[in-house]
Amino acid sequence: MSGSAPVHRFGRELSPRVLGVVMNLPTLLILALVLAYPIYYAGYLSMHRVTLVQLRSGVFPFVGFDNYLKVLEDPLFLLSLGNTLLFTAFTVISEVVLAVMIAILINQQDIWTSRITRFLILLPYAVPPIANGLIWSFIYNGKLGFLNRLLYSVGAIDSPIDWTANPDTALYAVAVPYIWRTLPFAILLVHAALQGISKELFEAASVDGAGAWHRFRHITLPLIMPVIVVLLVLRTSFAVAVFDEILAITQGGPGDATWVASWYSYKKGFAPPFDIGAGAASAFLLALLVATLAFIYIKLLYRRVD
Amino acid sequence: MRKTPLQKLLLHFANIVVIGFILLPMAAVVIGSLLAEKNLAGDTRSIIPGEMTLDNFRVIVTQGAQRGQVFEQATYLPDNVKKIYHALWNSTVISISVTLLTLIFASLSAYTIVKLNLRWVAWLLTVNVFARFVPIIVLMIPLYVVFRKLGLLNSMWGVVIALTGFLLPYGILILVPYFASIPKELDESARIDGCTRFSAFLRITLPLSTPALASYGAIVFIIAWNDLLIPLILNNRAEFMTLPVVIASLVGDVFVVFNLMMAICLIALTPSVLLVLLLRKFVVEGLTAGGVKG
Repeated sequence: MSGSAPVHRFGRELSPRVLGVVMNLPTLLILALVLAYPIYYAGYLSMHRVTLVQLRSGVFPFVGFDNYLKVLEDPLFLLSLGNTLLFTAFTVISEVVLAVMIAILINQQDIWTSRITRFLILLPYAVPPIANGLIWSFIYNGKLGFLNRLLYSVGAIDSPIDWTANPDTALYAVAVPYIWRTLPFAILLVHAALQGISKELFEAASVDGAGAWHRFRHITLPLIMPVIVVLLVLRTSFAVAVFDEILAITQGGPGDATWVASWYSYKKGFAPPFDIGAGAASAFLLALLVATLAFIYIKLLYRRVD
Repeated sequence: MRKTPLQKLLLHFANIVVIGFILLPMAAVVIGSLLAEKNLAGDTRSIIPGEMTLDNFRVIVTQGAQRGQVFEQATYLPDNVKKIYHALWNSTVISISVTLLTLIFASLSAYTIVKLNLRWVAWLLTVNVFARFVPIIVLMIPLYVVFRKLGLLNSMWGVVIALTGFLLPYGILILVPYFASIPKELDESARIDGCTRFSAFLRITLPLSTPALASYGAIVFIIAWNDLLIPLILNNRAEFMTLPVVIASLVGDVFVVFNLMMAICLIALTPSVLLVLLLRKFVVEGLTAGGVKG
């Protein structure tokens, strides 16, 4: 260590250029192995026939775009894609609306219950998604679930409803736990933006006679718009990749009502007949969807913000 | 902006609804884990069960040696649950290793981006921003094939390397603005006193960044502890499973009853929930600074 010697040790000082390479070496190596190469290799796999047989022999025959055609012609993939879009639209819109409402709620300094909410708000973020899914399937359960018990005890239903067994409600039954787990992050982001708005703005508007809705519409909303754009992009890119809650609650069922894109890729690649090529092709199409959606948001919304 | 009593009442009511929504699954997992099997099958109408028992935990902790009253009907305990101590150990080792490695690698990179002004390193940051939008399933399929070739399947290292890689970009994103907010003069005066750039990084930048490192460390630990897809795909042998993988292996097993599952879920979620409640301030700062995954 050079701290004990007050003399500048030019001899041991690396040039910024070399130091930059040395200090970035671990990051570069690990990102190359875990991010860069796999993205390239996913493209490679998606153009080759790779199943268990090929994995064992180590020879992957080139098949061009056959895997993509196979996936795109598979009704189950199109259904999964449709479910993914529906799931994403439902969860993202609900989360943005709820996040703005709850962020405003916990920002009320003079309401003491808001402090309790503020303290608890982060809790769902810490729950493992797979445990969250299982807990909710316990809540939903037709015979023993708390949802039915609660609804029954307040007199809302006469007989238990099996929420996840009905193809019409199953996707939403998965969406609610997903929203429960991911909402805290959205609320915190909006709340941080709210805290940045100066109180004088509101007070001036109040003096001018602006009502609560008017203040929200003309002061709060424009000022938190950039955060909402960030939120839309982030939440969309993660909702499109939903996996854990699907595995825990429905495993794609009932029938194929809750097959989503990442579940499709997982099942293609890691369940019999282990068609890794088709799995990679479908995952690549999913990445394309994320990129397109993110691009559209940024194009549409940032123009409005500026 | 004085509120009328009615407005205040409405706001209190809204808070109660939100708190109820947050706590509903927490109540469900606690009550579920304390239920005896016969309670579960019996009266479906009452919300609070009559009889509570710790038998579910006793069965798990003793790896099936002590059954208690829980398994009067079912006598089946999955092998993966019997290896719960393996899973706890694996989850702990993997989460701590990933946290330490990402903290070290991310702060090294973030420092070069802020202090060395190298163009290619700034470009690296841009790549990091995009990397965060790639759905993990896209990377998992090729990663499985690559790790299979390298012999990293069914090992702790494979999962640690993969998770570290996936969480690094996010850490660099959090640390860069924080390092940039540390006054340049501190760094420069240390250099005048004879520090090399690297020892200035160790002695000045890192100690001053403790809050950012704590934020990022806590978040990485939670994500690593909770992650399912990576260990699920890379490790399928029971002795290398993490807690989430053990839980996932119970899904669809019709012989596993809910009360046992809830007990395991409660064991799995307690460490990360406690960490979040203890380090709440840091986690909030990290989440809002980096705009994380979640």
